[in-house]
Amino acid sequence: MYKTTTNSFGQTVIIRTNTDGSTTSFFEEQDNTDYQEYLEWLSEGNTPEEAE
Amino acid sequence: MATTINANNTDGVVITPDTSGELELQANGVTKAKVTANGLQDANGNSLRGGSFRNLIINGDMRIAQRGTSSSSYSSGDTYLTLDRWRSNISTAGTWTMSQDTDVPIGEGFATSMKWDCTTANSSLSANSYLYATQYLEGQNLQQLKKGTANAESLTLSFWVKSNKTGTYIAYLFDVDTPSYRYISKSYTINTADTWEKKTITYAGDTIGALDNDNARSLDLLFWLVAGTDFTSGTLQTSWGTTVNANRAVGQVNLADSTSNYINITGVQLEVGEGASDFEFLPYDVQLARCQRYCVAYGGVGTYEPFGIGVETSGTNASIQLGLPVTMRGSISLTASNVGDIRVSDGSAFAAATAINIDQRGFQQVMFNATVASGLAATKACRLIANNSLAPRIIFTSEL
Repeated sequence: MYKTTTNSFGQTVIIRTNTDGSTTSFFEEQDNTDYQEYLEWLSEGNTPEEAE
Repeated sequence: MATTINANNTDGVVITPDTSGELELQANGVTKAKVTANGLQDANGNSLRGGSFRNLIINGDMRIAQRGTSSSSYSSGDTYLTLDRWRSNISTAGTWTMSQDTDVPIGEGFATSMKWDCTTANSSLSANSYLYATQYLEGQNLQQLKKGTANAESLTLSFWVKSNKTGTYIAYLFDVDTPSYRYISKSYTINTADTWEKKTITYAGDTIGALDNDNARSLDLLFWLVAGTDFTSGTLQTSWGTTVNANRAVGQVNLADSTSNYINITGVQLEVGEGASDFEFLPYDVQLARCQRYCVAYGGVGTYEPFGIGVETSGTNASIQLGLPVTMRGSISLTASNVGDIRVSDGSAFAAATAINIDQRGFQQVMFNATVASGLAATKACRLIANNSLAPRIIFTSEL
């Protein structure tokens, strides 16, 4: 569901594949609600894949 | 009754006093305005409170739907479906189509409403079943409420509603800033089936719990549509207090109990003070810009719609830069769909995208990468456009 990669400046970008096939990408920023959901997902013991 | 001051064609002015403590201003015996304990009102009792942007709700007339106008098969999740700013949350409460609808109260100036249409019923709710439509409000836009002080302001909610299912519904305010959270619930009644009705609810000011003066979520307005016994088994909490689940939605009807059920809502206004004023209609461009602080959607407009220009950084990647129409709230996410129908072109190469992901962001500019299988050349200028399709969407969000 989640993958992590780095952008062209070496920062981590998280990519979520949504149920409709779309993707949502975002940074590790506390005021981002997608990142907050990602942290919750991690806290449930999940691990993201690394993007190719 | 009220003291009246009547300006007429025969006597000039006639003053008829009483001891009600209220005043009516009349022209030839017809009341034109009232002065009551709730302030200045028109003849129908609507507040004549002035000032622009008094409505704390954005898109209360349901005009803006950047993500789309209809979303079906909704049965799980906490998400934005169609109408901007209106978030939906559901669990074990049937299946629904949520849409921007053209059914509106006649002669009130509205063109659209939010519609919930039950497509799979759940007449036997679980204890923790729920369905609600909500709008999250940004703390720095709420400081005039003076919440958490002795001068805390009351709030008045007004809206139009129509449903086939009569009975009790719950609308409540939820403070997410104060530890343990705080909320206040009020009920309203849909009296007549299939008939638009205007509802007005006043919530007392809360002297406990200041709202943070920042760009984060502070206060929610919720319209309950379905609530299991976890939320209904207590006593409705009609005064501000800490969260007790059982007191949240006491009395709420089960709108999910039949596939015949629907509800339409529009003209949602939440304003400081007691008594509702007329709905504040904003120009379309202003309302759109207010929504775009939280969501900017591209795509679906033209079959070769341009998404941005940039530079190819390798044989398989293009870096695209785009200016956003307004300053967004904060951190930005990029959602891309049907990216195979987007192409990178530079005059010679023509390559379909395989992925589009955010690369950098400010509040007004974003940079993102469009990945292709092959065919690009580093340092060449390029553009990103739809490839003869209305399907691709690129949506930037900075939701609360």
